Amino acid sequence: MLMIDENKLSKAREGDLKSIEELCKSTWEPLYRFIYYKVQNREEAEDITQDTYVKAIKHIQKSNTKVERYISFLKAVSLNVIKDKWRKRQYQGKRINLDDVNPEVISLEDSTEVNAQREVIKDALGRLNEEQRRVIELRILEGYSVADTAKIMNKKEGTVRVVQYRALQNLADILKNND
Amino acid sequence: MSDNERDLSRYIDSLNEGKKPKEHGLTDNNREMDDIYETVRRVRSLKDPVMPDNGYTEKLAQNIAGELRKNHRTKKVRMTWFVSMAAVAAVVVLALIVNFVLPANKDNIVYAMEQAFKQIKAYHGVLEIAQMNADGQKSTQGKLEIWSDNENRYYVKELIGAQSGLITANNGEKKWQLRPDQKEAYIFSAFPDPYRFTFELGKEVDEIKNALKFEAIGEERVSGRMTKVLKVYPQGGAPYKLWVDKETKLPLKKQSAMQNALQYTVVYTKIEFIEAIPKELITYSTPSGFSEVNKKYEQIVSNLIEAEEIVGFTPRMPEILPLGYSNYNTAVDTEIKAVKFNYTAIDNAKNILILENKVNKEFVPVSTAVLGKIGNNTAEVQSPIQEDWGVLGGLGPYAGITDLKSIRWQNEGMEYAIIGNDSLEVMIEFIKSLKMGDVQIPVNEAKTLLKPQVEVPVNMDIEENEQKSVDSGHSPWKLDPVFVAQVFVSLKISPEGIHGDYPIKYEELKIMQNTGIEAIIEVNDTKTSISKVFLKKLIRKDNTGIWSVVGYDVKK
Repeated sequence: MLMIDENKLSKAREGDLKSIEELCKSTWEPLYRFIYYKVQNREEAEDITQDTYVKAIKHIQKSNTKVERYISFLKAVSLNVIKDKWRKRQYQGKRINLDDVNPEVISLEDSTEVNAQREVIKDALGRLNEEQRRVIELRILEGYSVADTAKIMNKKEGTVRVVQYRALQNLADILKNND
Repeated sequence: MSDNERDLSRYIDSLNEGKKPKEHGLTDNNREMDDIYETVRRVRSLKDPVMPDNGYTEKLAQNIAGELRKNHRTKKVRMTWFVSMAAVAAVVVLALIVNFVLPANKDNIVYAMEQAFKQIKAYHGVLEIAQMNADGQKSTQGKLEIWSDNENRYYVKELIGAQSGLITANNGEKKWQLRPDQKEAYIFSAFPDPYRFTFELGKEVDEIKNALKFEAIGEERVSGRMTKVLKVYPQGGAPYKLWVDKETKLPLKKQSAMQNALQYTVVYTKIEFIEAIPKELITYSTPSGFSEVNKKYEQIVSNLIEAEEIVGFTPRMPEILPLGYSNYNTAVDTEIKAVKFNYTAIDNAKNILILENKVNKEFVPVSTAVLGKIGNNTAEVQSPIQEDWGVLGGLGPYAGITDLKSIRWQNEGMEYAIIGNDSLEVMIEFIKSLKMGDVQIPVNEAKTLLKPQVEVPVNMDIEENEQKSVDSGHSPWKLDPVFVAQVFVSLKISPEGIHGDYPIKYEELKIMQNTGIEAIIEVNDTKTSISKVFLKKLIRKDNTGIWSVVGYDVKK
């Protein structure tokens, strides 16, 4: 089983490139995916991943941690980083104190929650009318611009924006009732 | 349409472009919009995440190491920033206009940079060059004071570094270098200028304009200025990072990729935009105690008769010059008996040279050159010039200067070459004006050549890796179609590998056709049944693209 040893962490804290590289190589991908899931854009996901490591390396004291456990710890730290960066009540997760992190809880939230959430969202999309669902699919899932969406749907750009707004209002209501 | 609908659209667009929406960093109390934005993110979570580029972990580790080390520092030294406010204001206004009128996309970033640079008459800055090794250890390599203007004149003084005190300047009439350690003043031709100075703003703007692609990867404060960080993928070579000042829209810092365990960073720690370079800096005079060393390759003549007397032939001059060009001077090389006509465009930014000398040797084009025709004669086109064969060897040097192109050919016992930093189209106009028949120079994509009798299958994965290897400086022979053909034929003769000399000599191969993208090489050797080798640039079509063998013909 892969372990993160105290010696490596201690070197990393001093800014030793090799130790940090080793640490990142074994942990970055699940952390990045977790953050991307929350922020949904690459630019911010890369920034927050970096900030998370800086914060985590400075704080972690435990020695000889399993990689899986360390990833859970990183995910917990990333939630705090996002919270700090956004400083908004829109973000649903409560602020987590580093000392109170229970890595198992974070791991569980990561795996089962995500799948359940996907089903909830798919179900909510199915409850929109045909026009609203199509706009959401084109704009958000397929990434088309308003102009291209308007062309595909043979509608004016202004109409696409209005339908998009109403569709998301409806979706937000449906999801809130499901939560 | 309401503001909310517009804001929502912008928010979705940001996420679609992989960028952080501004709403993620703001505090407001619009609960309804917060819920809608969160819904957008939840819907997007049905898609797979967009993963970072290759090499992300290395970059991530370096950034983290940098941040952690920063914590150990006591106080950050703030750099000063002196700027001529009026000049910067003009640039800023222009940049703002461009930003407001046009939507923000890649083309517009380049356009804004080009326009901002055009507004500058001259600039003065202090450039710092630093090096970092694979362990993250940094060291300052040098510090330069730079003065440069929009007429290609410059004055560079090394403040700190191995050549501290060295001054290099070019005022359009001559280039000089004052070497205080040797008490010598070296004088060179003003054009061509093989090397000006590093991190020239105009050149950086051109490079990003000609890059394969680039992407915005974030924002950072550099020398006290907010900058947009771009990752640039040039045509050939490894990607590099460029920091562009958000207000002036001009480059401020550049960082190369880590290659051979070294990475270079150049940054303007100070820069000011000015009306002109102080006259005394670009007026040449030999400092007292210095001796003058003339490194000019030419002797200026005042008329054609004088030139004819020195070289022993009557040089041919273009009858009509392309618009904007005039004859700046005429010179001769007294050793190889060549004449050089030097033409300058009105704005002084473009130069064209015509070289002529007598020959009694068969015309052999450079193996990496594209071939064309002038009258009934083969013409060699090099863009950029990689080898200075024939008349190109006189009144130079020209090879290795990135923005110089040449067209060389022979006609009735004379060899001619046109050299310049203008477009091939303008150079062709000069040739047409010399009246030597039809000019057929491939300017754009050339037509497909004949098909080979035997096709050679190509593994594109291997070729892509070969291209990357050449980009990082390995196996440069892959850029030479003759060399690639030589290796191919040699391996056909000795499939177990080549030990010692190649069984086929380089001289036994002759370029029959070369469009710059496709080439046919003739093989004249009895050791092989192969008569022609067909090659193509499959990965990249420019002069940095490798050649791959795609087929061959056998002797009948």
